[in-house]
Amino acid sequence: MSAVIPRHRVNVLTGIKSARLIEDPVEYASLIKKAKRPLLVVGPLLLKSLPDGKLLMEYALDIAKAAGIPICATAQTRGKIVELGVQPDCVYDTVEIANALKDPDWQGVKKEGNHDLVIFFGIRSDLGNQSLSTLKHFAPHLKTMTLCIHYFPHANYSLPNFKKDAKWQEFLESLIANLEKGD
Amino acid sequence: MAEVKEITRKLEEIHEKIKAEIPWEPVGPTPMPEMPDLRQWDMRLLKTYAPFYAPFCDLCCFCTYGKCDLTEGRRGACGIDIATQQARFVLLACLMGCSAHAAHGGHILEFLIERHGADKKIDLGTSIEVEAPNIRTVVGLKPETLGDLQIALEYVFKEIAHLLDSCHTGQEGNALDYESKALHASMLDHVGMEIADIAQIVGFNYPTSVAETPLVEMGWGAIDKSKPVILVSGHNPATSTVVIDYLREHNLEDQVEVCGLCCTALETTRYSDKAKIVGPLSRALFFMRTGIADVIMTDEQCIRTDTPQEAAKVGSAMIACLDKAMYGLEDATDLDPDEIVRRMVDNKEQFAILDSPKAAEVAVKVAMEIAPQRKKGWLTEEEAIELAKKCTNCRMCEQVCPNLFNIGGGITEVAKGNFDLIRQQFLQCIGCGKCEEECPNNVPIFKIMQTAASMETWKCRAGRGPVMDTEIRNVGAPITLGTIPGVIALVGCSNYPNINDIADMVDEFARRKYIVVLTGCAAMVAGMKKDEDGLTVYEKYPPDFDGGGVVNIGSCVANAHISGAAIKIANIFAALPLRGNYEVMADYVLNRVGACGVAWGAMSQKAASIGTGFNRLGVPVVLGPHSSKYRRLYLSRKEEDDWKAMDARKKEIVDTVEPAPEHLAYVCETKEKAMPMIAKLCIRRNDTPQGRAIKLNHYISLYKKYIGPGLPEDLHLFVRRDADIPLVYKKEVRAHLQEIGWQPREPIGLPTLIGTYPTKVPVDAVIH
Repeated sequence: MSAVIPRHRVNVLTGIKSARLIEDPVEYASLIKKAKRPLLVVGPLLLKSLPDGKLLMEYALDIAKAAGIPICATAQTRGKIVELGVQPDCVYDTVEIANALKDPDWQGVKKEGNHDLVIFFGIRSDLGNQSLSTLKHFAPHLKTMTLCIHYFPHANYSLPNFKKDAKWQEFLESLIANLEKGD
Repeated sequence: MAEVKEITRKLEEIHEKIKAEIPWEPVGPTPMPEMPDLRQWDMRLLKTYAPFYAPFCDLCCFCTYGKCDLTEGRRGACGIDIATQQARFVLLACLMGCSAHAAHGGHILEFLIERHGADKKIDLGTSIEVEAPNIRTVVGLKPETLGDLQIALEYVFKEIAHLLDSCHTGQEGNALDYESKALHASMLDHVGMEIADIAQIVGFNYPTSVAETPLVEMGWGAIDKSKPVILVSGHNPATSTVVIDYLREHNLEDQVEVCGLCCTALETTRYSDKAKIVGPLSRALFFMRTGIADVIMTDEQCIRTDTPQEAAKVGSAMIACLDKAMYGLEDATDLDPDEIVRRMVDNKEQFAILDSPKAAEVAVKVAMEIAPQRKKGWLTEEEAIELAKKCTNCRMCEQVCPNLFNIGGGITEVAKGNFDLIRQQFLQCIGCGKCEEECPNNVPIFKIMQTAASMETWKCRAGRGPVMDTEIRNVGAPITLGTIPGVIALVGCSNYPNINDIADMVDEFARRKYIVVLTGCAAMVAGMKKDEDGLTVYEKYPPDFDGGGVVNIGSCVANAHISGAAIKIANIFAALPLRGNYEVMADYVLNRVGACGVAWGAMSQKAASIGTGFNRLGVPVVLGPHSSKYRRLYLSRKEEDDWKAMDARKKEIVDTVEPAPEHLAYVCETKEKAMPMIAKLCIRRNDTPQGRAIKLNHYISLYKKYIGPGLPEDLHLFVRRDADIPLVYKKEVRAHLQEIGWQPREPIGLPTLIGTYPTKVPVDAVIH
């Protein structure tokens, strides 16, 4: 029997006001394009490669380039990003960037005002989801999104749990293509 | 007037309890502090290190008005908001931790007073005069006997009741006040732990005033399964020591194997170097399921709640030895031991036996009787391959794994005859068993993993108890000046996110001449990795509390000796009075003692209170990534926060600019990030130019080693003058500082936070 979600705003079965699940790369691209000051927060899980040999970090850099999004390097990712020929816009750990983001007066990594969309990509799901919870509760001025293979309930927008890497890869490639198309 | 009278009466009562008339030191401003007494200190800390909340769920379901939705600024039916609810949770976790240790202390104290009498003298050997720095500082009492420890414990119990009361629906309504209470509970935890371990050292003759304790064997392979095997599990040595006594009295010590899981293992090896360490808590379920243990004896804390069921599955006999966990078993405390043995052997019944000598006698007799009949063998690789074929790699196990493993991937590889991935996963597995519960095909994952378990044995140094006063005298100056770059305390649970991380951290910092101290499961797993010469960190580094030393302090409750060592630096080296003088001690530690706790694999509520207790004392703690699930960190925002401090000599408030230490409770995602962060969190305002240059040398070099080329982004905040720049990076750092427009500034003379917030403590109190 599938669970029926009652008429509460919060799903009382999970105790979490859950993310909107989106599988369509066009819709994802559209949400990113609509943002005025997005930020891409990249984590150490992107230091791994997909079965085709392409480093996940390369997907992240492609997304950032296609949409002109500044990059925040967390954990030890800065070294690899620099090695790939890109200078990250800032270096913070996940909890540090979340701590800054929850301040509405923070001027953001470009000093142009706080961000309105924060995209998490490659952060461990426990740490990532908890940090997204922080933003959900204490940063109402921004929306959050994830690009990871797992569902992140505390985000505003999340991908589903992909069972196959190939499906996820397909999504990422399509997302990049849609972002490259421009408006 | 009535209020003044009440205060006077209370103070008189406290003075009577702490024997204030004995003038070993003047009584400071806060003997036996109650909830509000150190609140101003807490608020000062929380001003810089603000709580960072990461709610697990969006609801409160504590009372029947709920569930209450706390999203989007909503308050619950009682009026609580999401931040305050998180702080309430944190306080509850810290109270559970504090209660576990304090109740352990209470039980062990009762047991030992019955054995030795309340007048049994506390003597920790010739090298330890300040025997109880936490009790002396917090309670204001100098305990001379086991009976004196009871006075301190009664105070802790009373405070726990008040703190728990504040968690009831409809009381405290402010997150910072709940945090202050959590800090209070956690400070009490260090008192409770100190009571427990001092009692154990005195009552069981554990090693004390000695650094070179025996190296004991560790690992499954160390256990001789041809003999009857008794497994003790938990934390309280009242059970295991009595088993060893029984074996000694009956000349059976060489005929029966006694091995331990979790902190009881550490306690047992402090009592007998013949006892073996199976491993940390994460090995509990695996080891129980091998059936190697003929008898499993549980005591308290960190024991699995399904021990009776697991024991029954593999035919191990089982005895619950403490009232904390009786598992619904028949209480056989008053039955005749031989009758219990008969029923356990013939009927395979399990019992609770709350009388340690009786439990020991029964355990030995049962083990000797059933061992010859029991088959103890490992699963073969061929059998594992067959069992693994049921796995469809549906990834359900991956979704519930707290350490986020693709276990199905490992199992499907086993099905193909490849054990490489499962070996790696076994090593990193936290042993919770959730994967197996979730598996729709009932694949016996844990059984299959047996084939991946290493039969290798390792060495762990037996816990040595308090740091000696003589050692404190030697290292006090270099620590506070910064020439010993820091004291790194790796504490608590161990397996998240990778069991090897602990040994790697110990090796990295010991090699760099930091002082490395360990407790609990972290102390065990530090020894579970060998270098290319086959040596563990305990064999590679000296056991001294000195630069480059690796010191196993003991079990969880021995954590009090680490906070105690920090206090002793202030008291013995800096000659600051500690009696009822918590604020001065904590202020000294925060500003001048370059120490950093690392609770890398922290799992329990006890870890929450241990860490938060260190925080109140001014010691920052680095946690592993999963610890974001504790719901709260203490973070600063280095470029925006208030880094002003009082120069106690000049009586001037100075903006030091430097975030030293930057955070009090911090989560790192990876070992690579943690390495430079730990080094950075050892930086203190008090560092001399020479000390600062040494600390920055390690910070920069660890950054380059683990993060990448270039310099740390925040380096400029920690360079006060050119003399602070490490010689080896002089050119590179100077060029960087010039590029960003850095300006030199004067180091603060005698840094203190006293005088920067409302407190009864005068600034002169920090001058020695």
